[in-house]
Amino acid sequence: MRRPTGLLLAFPAILVVILLAAVFASVVSVSLLQADPGGAVFHGPASLRNYTRLLGSADAWRSVSNTLRLSGIVTLICLVCGFPLARLLARASSARTRRMILFCLMATFFSGGVTRAYAWLIILGNRGLINQSLQALGLPSVALINNETGVVTAMLNFVLPFFVLTLFSALRTIPDTLESAARNLGASRARTFLHVTLPLSLPGVAASCFLCFALSLGAFLFPEMLGGGRVQVLATAIYDRIQTTYDVPSAAALAMLFLLLILCLLAVLGAARQVVTRRAT
Amino acid sequence: MGASCPLEIEGLSKRYGQHQAVDGVALSVAEGETLALLGPSGCGKTTVLQSIAGFVTPDAGDIRLGGESLLPIPPEGRGTAMLFQHYALFPHMSVGGNVGFGLRMARVPKAEARRRVEEALRLVRIEALASRRPAQLSGGQRQRVALARALVIEPRLLLLDEPLGALDQNLREEMQTELRKLQRRLGLTTVMVTHDQHEAIVLSDKIAVMRNGRIEQAGTPLEIHDHPGSHYVATFTGVENLLPATRSSTDIVEIAGTPIAGLHAPQGTTDALTVAIRASAVGMRAAGAKPSGLLGTIVFTQVLGAAIRYEVALPGALLVRVDEARRGTAIWEPGTAVVLDLPADRCTVLTGNA
Repeated sequence: MRRPTGLLLAFPAILVVILLAAVFASVVSVSLLQADPGGAVFHGPASLRNYTRLLGSADAWRSVSNTLRLSGIVTLICLVCGFPLARLLARASSARTRRMILFCLMATFFSGGVTRAYAWLIILGNRGLINQSLQALGLPSVALINNETGVVTAMLNFVLPFFVLTLFSALRTIPDTLESAARNLGASRARTFLHVTLPLSLPGVAASCFLCFALSLGAFLFPEMLGGGRVQVLATAIYDRIQTTYDVPSAAALAMLFLLLILCLLAVLGAARQVVTRRAT
Repeated sequence: MGASCPLEIEGLSKRYGQHQAVDGVALSVAEGETLALLGPSGCGKTTVLQSIAGFVTPDAGDIRLGGESLLPIPPEGRGTAMLFQHYALFPHMSVGGNVGFGLRMARVPKAEARRRVEEALRLVRIEALASRRPAQLSGGQRQRVALARALVIEPRLLLLDEPLGALDQNLREEMQTELRKLQRRLGLTTVMVTHDQHEAIVLSDKIAVMRNGRIEQAGTPLEIHDHPGSHYVATFTGVENLLPATRSSTDIVEIAGTPIAGLHAPQGTTDALTVAIRASAVGMRAAGAKPSGLLGTIVFTQVLGAAIRYEVALPGALLVRVDEARRGTAIWEPGTAVVLDLPADRCTVLTGNA
């Protein structure tokens, strides 16, 4: 690509990269400054004070551990619920069944995040569908919002379709004659799953979990809306720093820490995925 | 190897929605015998095979192996071993792991399993490949692994699904011979499915030609090859000559107005007949000074290698294909007048016109 046309074609892409790099650089530089108390103004000199303060802050660490825990729970539930669904989808003999399930999954993409969050508030709220039903049955009501239950439920709604679709396309590449061959050679359904289906699905499972976890880490809307301020994750902690204390530099530092944390985690998960994939092929 | 069993199929039927895939199929395969189900795709042959293996539940009928009905038994308990069309080797296991899979499932002790795997690999001559992965093998080697994997469990019945379809021509012929020798040596009752008439003929003791879920004709390979029972079978098995014929007043069959010596029309059938005869069964000699018999002119010659294919035009725009085994190098030129000889015992008289 030595010809000028190549450069010309790449120009929009280069522009986008420059823009993103500029935004990123501004976050990094702001994270090194100090905020004036009570005002949205910040000044030098540049230092790592924001970072050292964050590392010593119990609040910051709690939001880190909350983020990891919630993402872990969401991924785990995705795996348990999503695997059978993806398998059903991949093995559905009728195209109609498959289209139906796919449509239901895709339908959640069509509604925006805020709409979905409100929908869950209506369903899970203290006077919501579930609690009203419980009351009608004479049962005590349960708190389903403003806590982790609500956050995890809504996040699942957001992440599960991605999980299922990713795993589905991976499972579809496993020929079903392999399962027939295993049965034919004397393996029961359970042992066929254990010795053939599961090992062959592992790369797909790893990829789906990876995606699921990464999506959960960055979730902001659902923790904010269904957590009612009581479930602090990294994204909401960053938001609060900006909205309530106007401490933009500290928020920027937290964002950088968050980024670093995610990069480390993804590197570890990516390496694990590589191992699984290599073993399976 | 294990005790092989006779197989009986009775009134087997299976419907998929509006499509009657198998319609009252009855078959029996003696112990150690190989049956080929031959037919085009969609004729129901694969459904029959899948029913035997237990992957398809028939709507009606019974399948008995060694006198015992297979239908209540799940696939893993039937003792059938299937050679899948595309081998279906487990990609995450080595060759040894693949071949040993059935033994592992049967919880055969490790030492014995290892010995039997080695033995099976030796049988198909790939003992050196035990630690390879399927992805590292050629088509022919995969075929052998699949065969070893099926044979090692000492099945009561071997099922072959288009066993050699994925191989190229040379390899296919080599494997055909090898497979046939193995079958003979092991005395395994075998059912195979194929759309290739040549494969059916060289690999089986009995052929059932299927059409629209039914058996159109069953017989020995030579019977099917020489005497197709219908136009369908004749066309499907590649009979080169389907010649319109008529019935003479003495019930002798006539082609192009010439009676064929010794060839009688079947009783009580219509006057419109067809004579089916293989190109290689037709005799041909030069027309002498006073020729008599089925007279024609060579209009086309083609070298097949071991034989020469002639197309001979008869009166009435009839074209007869004649394959003459080569003796010497002389090839008759187009335009040569010849007399054709249709031996009655190699002709099949079908009713109706093709």
